[in-house]
Amino acid sequence: MSTGSPELNALRGVGGLGLDAVRGIGALALVAARTLLGLPRLERRELTRALVQFGFDSLPLAMATAALAGVIVVLQSGLYIQRFGARAFLGWASGYGVLWEFGPLLLGLIMSARIGARNAAELATMQVGGQIEGLRGIGLDPFAILVAPRVVAMELSMLAMSTFTFMVAILFEAVAALLTLDLPLRTFFGTFAHMLSPLDIAGGVVKTGIFGLAISLVSTAVGLSARGGAQAVGRAAASAVVQSCAAIFVLDFVLTLVLAGWMA
Amino acid sequence: MNRVLSFFGAPVVLFARTTRAGAREGISWRECMVQLHELGGRSVWLVMSGMAFFGAVLVTIANSQARRFVGNVAVLGPAYFELLIRELGPVVSALLTASRAGAGHAAELSTMSVNEQVEALEMSAGDPYSDLVAPRVVAGLLGVPLLCTLGTVAATLSAVAVAGLAFGVDGRAFMDPRYVDGWDLLAAGLKAGACGLYIPLAAAVAGLRARGGAEAVGAATTEGVVTASLGCLLIDFAVSLAFQLLRL
Repeated sequence: MSTGSPELNALRGVGGLGLDAVRGIGALALVAARTLLGLPRLERRELTRALVQFGFDSLPLAMATAALAGVIVVLQSGLYIQRFGARAFLGWASGYGVLWEFGPLLLGLIMSARIGARNAAELATMQVGGQIEGLRGIGLDPFAILVAPRVVAMELSMLAMSTFTFMVAILFEAVAALLTLDLPLRTFFGTFAHMLSPLDIAGGVVKTGIFGLAISLVSTAVGLSARGGAQAVGRAAASAVVQSCAAIFVLDFVLTLVLAGWMA
Repeated sequence: MNRVLSFFGAPVVLFARTTRAGAREGISWRECMVQLHELGGRSVWLVMSGMAFFGAVLVTIANSQARRFVGNVAVLGPAYFELLIRELGPVVSALLTASRAGAGHAAELSTMSVNEQVEALEMSAGDPYSDLVAPRVVAGLLGVPLLCTLGTVAATLSAVAVAGLAFGVDGRAFMDPRYVDGWDLLAAGLKAGACGLYIPLAAAVAGLRARGGAEAVGAATTEGVVTASLGCLLIDFAVSLAFQLLRL
């Protein structure tokens, strides 16, 4: 395997990475296209089940994350806001931080851990157990039955949860600012309402929605490409989480640049 | 209530058992090194590239904040550097490690308990706590602070580069240690160490509890990652709150 000169090995490594990247993008595009084609024949019951599982059952986790994120943002921005004597701007600064950055990012990371791993594990179990072949065998399209409902449900739940978690995070921010920095609620929401526009909320919602799409596509693609035995299931779950996290970070950077440039 | 109790209690019980078993049976240092490679060496690219993107995002946000008030993003640099050292560096790196290593540990341990390999280990007079859990805990305690340091460095460098290249300001302000003091480093170290202790424990709790088939492996992996990530956020919150209350 590793015979030959170091240059050749490096070249081989780069080629392997490139091939892996192309293979991954190809798989993603395939899943996305088949999902789009499967949309009209989407299985309703599966969609309802996935909506309950992804959206409703994740609410406690999302709320806990939002509350923690809000308090953490206030605690740390309090440090340098006191230093610059700009206490009145806390409402704006922490609102901006949660809407644009910490809300979508933390929600995305936590949901990729919860839903991404579960999607990948379920689909990998079915793939490894030959159940997906079985579906094909009796003339059903696994994308319409298994993948499209998950993608749609993930997208809807993320969009619905984003505004909800932002609200919780901002409420907790206001209370934390009142308790730790003695900042009156009136001042907090004053600058918050005054200096933030609906576009800022839209930015956060768009980001969360795109993260949700990325998580569902990556995790289903990873799950469907699992081969092997029981270990492949664990490996698929783990690599779905890792790949969704990586996708979220890259998308976060790209989206911040694009949206900040476009909306500012 | 039950779930809350087991969320906090199970890792504590597991930690106590692991320390006792480790003290009684001894820990294989070779296994610790293997686990350190598994946790640290294999997560290092994920953590560093993720943190590099995160640093770039941070600068972009600082830039749009600064354009509204001070006009020059370099003014905010030292404050953001302190924020990165104290808060975001350790936490986001630990979250990334939790998703990579937490999933790996939970998947591996749950596969072993589903296949009854843990029972087999006990049958051959091994102790799963000292043989399986203790090396992972040692690796976490050593590896996560190292990964946090590397992640913070990566985020700082990419923040400097993006500020210089994209916004045309002197990016070196983003590595100005004017506001960084020993307490910041202590807070960062505490967070990284506590997350390093918690991630392997949470993954081991989820993994060793798994019973059933392949689906149990998937469920245990999910549970390991979720509790590890949530635990990192909670640890961050607790340390920040303690430092804030003590006015350090």
